[in-house]
Amino acid sequence: MPGSTRGTDGFKASKGMSAQKRREALQAYLFLAPATILLFVFGILPVGYAFFISLHQWRIQRGAFTGLRNYGRLLGSPLNLLLLAAGIGMLIGAYYVWRSIATQPAGWRTRLRIALAALLIIGGLTLVLGMDRALAAAAEERMTMGYLLSVLRTVFYSAGTVPFQLILAFLLANLLFQKIRGRSLFRMLYFLPYITPTVATAAVWTTVFEPRRGLLNTILMQIFHMSESNLPRWIFDSTGIVPLMGQWLGLSLPDWVAASPILSGPSLAMIAVCIYNIWVFTGYNTVIFLAGLGAIPYELYEAARIDGAGRWQLLRHVTLPLVSPTTYFLTMMGVIGTFKAINHIYIMTQMVGLGGPQDSTTTAAIFIFKQFREGNRWGVASAAALTLLGIILLLTWIQDRMAEGRVHYA
Amino acid sequence: MHKVNLLPRLRNYGVRSLLYMLLTVGAVVALFPFAWMLLTSLKTYGEHSTRVFWPKALTTLPYSDLPRGREIVVDLYPPAEEWGGAPSSALPLLEGRILIDRVTAPVQEQLTREGLSPPFWIMILAADTDSEVEGYDTFYYNVNTRVIQQETVRVNWRAKRFLFFHFIQKENWKAPYFLSAPDMERWGPQLVIRDNDPDHFAVRVTWQPVTMFFFNFITGWVESDFGRYMWNSIRLTLIQLVGVVTFSTLAAYAFARMEFPGKNGIFAVFLATLMLPEVVTLVPNFSIVIQLDRFFERVLGIENAWLNNWTALTVPFMASAFSIFLLRQFFAQIPKDLHDAALIDGCGHLRFLLQVVLPLSKAPLMSIILLNGIGSWNAFLWPLIVTTRNTWRPITVGLSKFIEESAAEVHLMMAGATITIIPILILYFFTQKQFTEGIATTGLKG
Repeated sequence: MPGSTRGTDGFKASKGMSAQKRREALQAYLFLAPATILLFVFGILPVGYAFFISLHQWRIQRGAFTGLRNYGRLLGSPLNLLLLAAGIGMLIGAYYVWRSIATQPAGWRTRLRIALAALLIIGGLTLVLGMDRALAAAAEERMTMGYLLSVLRTVFYSAGTVPFQLILAFLLANLLFQKIRGRSLFRMLYFLPYITPTVATAAVWTTVFEPRRGLLNTILMQIFHMSESNLPRWIFDSTGIVPLMGQWLGLSLPDWVAASPILSGPSLAMIAVCIYNIWVFTGYNTVIFLAGLGAIPYELYEAARIDGAGRWQLLRHVTLPLVSPTTYFLTMMGVIGTFKAINHIYIMTQMVGLGGPQDSTTTAAIFIFKQFREGNRWGVASAAALTLLGIILLLTWIQDRMAEGRVHYA
Repeated sequence: MHKVNLLPRLRNYGVRSLLYMLLTVGAVVALFPFAWMLLTSLKTYGEHSTRVFWPKALTTLPYSDLPRGREIVVDLYPPAEEWGGAPSSALPLLEGRILIDRVTAPVQEQLTREGLSPPFWIMILAADTDSEVEGYDTFYYNVNTRVIQQETVRVNWRAKRFLFFHFIQKENWKAPYFLSAPDMERWGPQLVIRDNDPDHFAVRVTWQPVTMFFFNFITGWVESDFGRYMWNSIRLTLIQLVGVVTFSTLAAYAFARMEFPGKNGIFAVFLATLMLPEVVTLVPNFSIVIQLDRFFERVLGIENAWLNNWTALTVPFMASAFSIFLLRQFFAQIPKDLHDAALIDGCGHLRFLLQVVLPLSKAPLMSIILLNGIGSWNAFLWPLIVTTRNTWRPITVGLSKFIEESAAEVHLMMAGATITIIPILILYFFTQKQFTEGIATTGLKG
């Protein structure tokens, strides 16, 4: 290859140099060869191969070519998909209109825009909720194999973890950033959940959540004197959090709330998984936030203080904007992390069946794993995996767009 | 003057103590599952199921005033007539008795509850080891002709550690008493068979505080082959580290210090693989590994070259785009003059890399070793899929199997979890500074 590229690109130098450069290029390719071959075989090739598999009926062995039918089985009818996409699109549109209002002067145009935004929000919500009905119907007919539902659960999972761990970590990092003794000790302790093997810590949390002998329910029973029949059943409970809260508060919610996968919210089992996730990643986020705080130039604080800024104003107008690249990075990592999380859900639901109870912790990644391992439907699993990759890329792009103008690189 | 200064100072103290309190609350939340794990791993089954908070093992009670150990010879004779209720295939071939005249405090508690007191006899059974499941034997406890308890016990003849305490009886040996087996096993005497002859055993009867304390760990370790898993994990981690460090340094050096066509394009492709979640490549990679396995078997005649072998477990992860990226950033900072000077001395790229660049890059190399080491030790999903046998199964998968099997025995489960965590903890405590700083500056798990 180097011989054939003589005289092009980087090979415009004199002949003597070119021979030397050719030698160097050859050596560089040799240096790169092992890593490139491995990355190609186990990193890039699999994506194409997954697409190939997804076009077939594939149960361990390759079966008949089925085209895009696997995708159809996952996503349901094109109409449903279109509705969902339109709903999400309207919501995003509403967001943009909303943002443009902030920069406009007051007047009838603004009012129109507010009305438009409200309409868009209502329209989007209706569509998503309408989808919700379609989802329930489809799940009953086993049309979509529950893939869209699993994506919804993944969204719940992200929403139930990322904001909480970010807020907690930001608070802890700010506390640690004060002049205190033992900062490195605290940092080390907070970091512990992150580096210990997921399998082991998830097993520990499984026993913490265990309804009868677990630590949590023992505390609820012995310290808060809850009666044994009222104790939450954590990982064993597939009831949505909204109807559950209704029960605890003694409210009678209409049936269609409990029946709707969106309105009933994540199951209690999923909440348990979320709590575990927050426990693992808060320390990690704290350490990264700490590094981000350390990167803020001290002079900025000095200047703001001279201008008469109080503690709160310093936090709001100096720390928060300047730490935003870290926040952005952690949000991305957190969301993508929840989309690919398998290990701890695998361990925590081992007792109730993978992704259980009643599939209420089956996130998209677990769905893929179950299709692959339990169903031996490799075609479907690959189609789901590629769809998930698409969703992750889309999310990255959306977050990137949303971050524009909000993330300040100092 | 003093009065003026006192108030802000007091307020400062208040703020500071609030600060430390909040930080401590955070630390407690981060640590309580570990504390729960350790406490539970020291409990007995009974203690966990009755929600006892503080395990007896952490008090002095079981260890104080231990009876002295002794070595005795147990005569074996054909089983007595009363054994007749059990199926003949499960009959012990021979039996003998050991007299226990002193016990530890927890056992005394148990005995008192049963209305017993020492001395009592322990039955020792020389059983048929050729049963269906190798190494296991079924024992039937019976009163007269009625089978009242059946138990499958692992008998490790080769190690000559035949521990058997369940069957306890008073001198009148037709009336057996069953004590809570787990407690007896733990706090009762440990019987180690030193020598087994056709007609007698040489048995060592001891009460060892260390064995009592670590009982769950020993049981877990023996029951679940943790030794093998641990060794596998160590081997796999080392193999992967050698691969990652070698391949990453070479590739990173090429990207940082060498000129060749297509450099930026290849680098971009490398970085793009960072975006790929493991779950997306899971199915195709498994298929690829199966096909590689078949290829090696058919063409090269090597059986199991990939599946159930270190290759499938480590090779796919030896090229880490992230490590290459990290090292490249560091290598690019090394002054170019250094390289030019070395070139004049007739030093090639490889020698320059080995003799100049690597000694300068200890910090990033350490980061890579730690990140990949932890990543390899904690890896679960892929090893779960490509291992069906214990030969190369790492400790995480072993632990998950153990959890599956011992679901009801939470104390054993927690002992297993502790065993899995300990090596990582040791590594972490020695390298935690490089670690947290490495992650703070790079921000990724391996």
